[in-house]
Amino acid sequence: MTKTIVSAAVGLVLTSLSASGAFAQDANTVALVLGSSGSPFYQAMQCGAQARAKELGLSLTVSAADQFAADAQIPVVNAVTASAPKVAAIVPTDMQALIPPMRELAGRGTQVITVDQTISDPSILKTQVLTDNKAGGGMAADALAALIGKKGKVLVITQPPGSLAQDAREAGFAATLAAKYPDIQYLGPQYQSNDPQRAAEIVTSTLSAHPDLAGVFSTNDQGAIGAITGLRQAGAVGKVKMVAYDAASAEVAALKNGELQGLIAQSPSQQGAVAMDIAAKLIAGQAVEPVTMAEIVAIGADQPELADKYEYVAGCM
Amino acid sequence: MSNELAISPVETTEDRLLRLVAGGWIFLLLLALIAIFLVLKPAQFGSGYNVQQLFINAAILLVLAVGQTYVVITSGIDLSVGSVLVFASVVSAKLMLLLSGAGGTTYGTTAAGWDIIAIGTVAALLVGAAWGAFNGILIAVTKIPPLIVTLGTMGMALGGAQILSGGVDVRAMPELLVTHVGSGRILGIPVLVVIAAVTVIIAGIVLHLTRFGMHVFAVGSNAEASRRSGIPTTARLIQVYAISGLMAGIAAVMSNARFSTTTINGHAMDNLATISAVVLGGTSLFGGVGSVFGTVVGVFIPIILLNGFVILGIPPFWQTVAMGGVLILAVWIDQLKRRLRKRG
Repeated sequence: MTKTIVSAAVGLVLTSLSASGAFAQDANTVALVLGSSGSPFYQAMQCGAQARAKELGLSLTVSAADQFAADAQIPVVNAVTASAPKVAAIVPTDMQALIPPMRELAGRGTQVITVDQTISDPSILKTQVLTDNKAGGGMAADALAALIGKKGKVLVITQPPGSLAQDAREAGFAATLAAKYPDIQYLGPQYQSNDPQRAAEIVTSTLSAHPDLAGVFSTNDQGAIGAITGLRQAGAVGKVKMVAYDAASAEVAALKNGELQGLIAQSPSQQGAVAMDIAAKLIAGQAVEPVTMAEIVAIGADQPELADKYEYVAGCM
Repeated sequence: MSNELAISPVETTEDRLLRLVAGGWIFLLLLALIAIFLVLKPAQFGSGYNVQQLFINAAILLVLAVGQTYVVITSGIDLSVGSVLVFASVVSAKLMLLLSGAGGTTYGTTAAGWDIIAIGTVAALLVGAAWGAFNGILIAVTKIPPLIVTLGTMGMALGGAQILSGGVDVRAMPELLVTHVGSGRILGIPVLVVIAAVTVIIAGIVLHLTRFGMHVFAVGSNAEASRRSGIPTTARLIQVYAISGLMAGIAAVMSNARFSTTTINGHAMDNLATISAVVLGGTSLFGGVGSVFGTVVGVFIPIILLNGFVILGIPPFWQTVAMGGVLILAVWIDQLKRRLRKRG
């Protein structure tokens, strides 16, 4: 019995290996390099890409480093370069450090596109699939202002400076407040490094200093999860209005049970699908636009179906 | 630190032979990995391009891991290497930016000359060695456990780097540093690899062939006995941590040259990566046993696994599982060898 299972397993491994060997000769090879493994956002992107790649008949391989950091990602990009796919779609984790390895990749005949993030020298790219994070921050400001009656104190919980997307969300939020809502007092950003514990502490200590805090905006899901915990701990759920970026499962659940009043969601699976559409066009030798904008939507507490639609789920894992 | 396997400063031939066998197993694993990937994807894995990339990817980690080898041999641990690297790289980059007179917002590269690069390099080495010496003094003089001291300085160095830089990476590196060191070549060999190789060879010679190296092993085998036999253990410990810090300083310059930006948010796992490389290479966490060659092998195993898995198209989560598995397997087999050796 065990013997059969073992031989079946060995057989399976061998077939899959030889199958992947055969794919290498394929003319439709596409590589997708995610920002990090184990993030619901990038997993949803992977699922979107895999589904569309299947429809289009592309042979897709997905890889990622275990952290969102240039020093961890560059070896992955190097390995993709060695495997010489026709098209590589990459989520660059640093706008400058990834330029040399991506230039190398492009120089060796692979057509390179960026997804979700980009690099400061787009000349080596065929196209960039981007979201407008600054506009997303502005949408968050509008949503939060409406929730608190356009007056009161608001706080932003974000990542330490240096992450382009998070910085742009905070900047867009601050700019919109300054331009449109003079009665809202912006307390400024506080930093958590993808650490919900830290975000919870920030919220409770801000409430100690400003018991009249009216609203909180978190620029990502980890901050949102922590901020909600902090509000719960302080008994301020619902009293302090909260808007958060992203639509991770925990955030969608919080929206439905009233702990969160608004979400600014992207569609990672759409980004993944769009990247595959572009890859298919590039393989076919068709022209592509230099920039493709991906959508962002504001979801209110009264739109649970919309939240379900945009929830970052990795249904294909 | 009792250790029945502790090698006395003078190894017997038998000891040395057994150490080679124990260390050799992991070397065979490395060869097996290379062979498997070569058979499955010869054109991609075995290409000159890929081999070169493997060495470049290993270069920075190699330098850090060699410093870690010294520390682990003294039965210590240095968790601060990644943060010290980040701190030294920020200091060096800021200094070079200041000296070149370019604005702080400058993007890309500056026209700084070799003189400025030399000053920046020396600054990185000094700052790295200073953090290491600080670790060493706290550990050797105040007797605070290395785990706690270096955990503390890990936070201090990272926080310090964020204070100096405002948390924003310094992105303007001297053009010469990036082109000649980061992506430059000497006789076709990447400069980063040359730096790593020279560092590793010097560190290997010092550890295995000098009196200083013998003292390092002795301190790790039995600190009290070493002290009584006249080895200045306090000074040796401070020097060993200073060496680890100095290596982080060298790695900082290599990192600046390679990425053409400081990488404040990176290097978070460098400490664990180097410790696992050192342990994979047969160096005992209890001190007194270890080799630089083993560490070199230990650095290459995860790098080759990651590279091979990406080339084969194996999903990312399996890479994480495989790397964890190899670490445990390697240490387990090493333990078996040691047990056998004890019995025999």
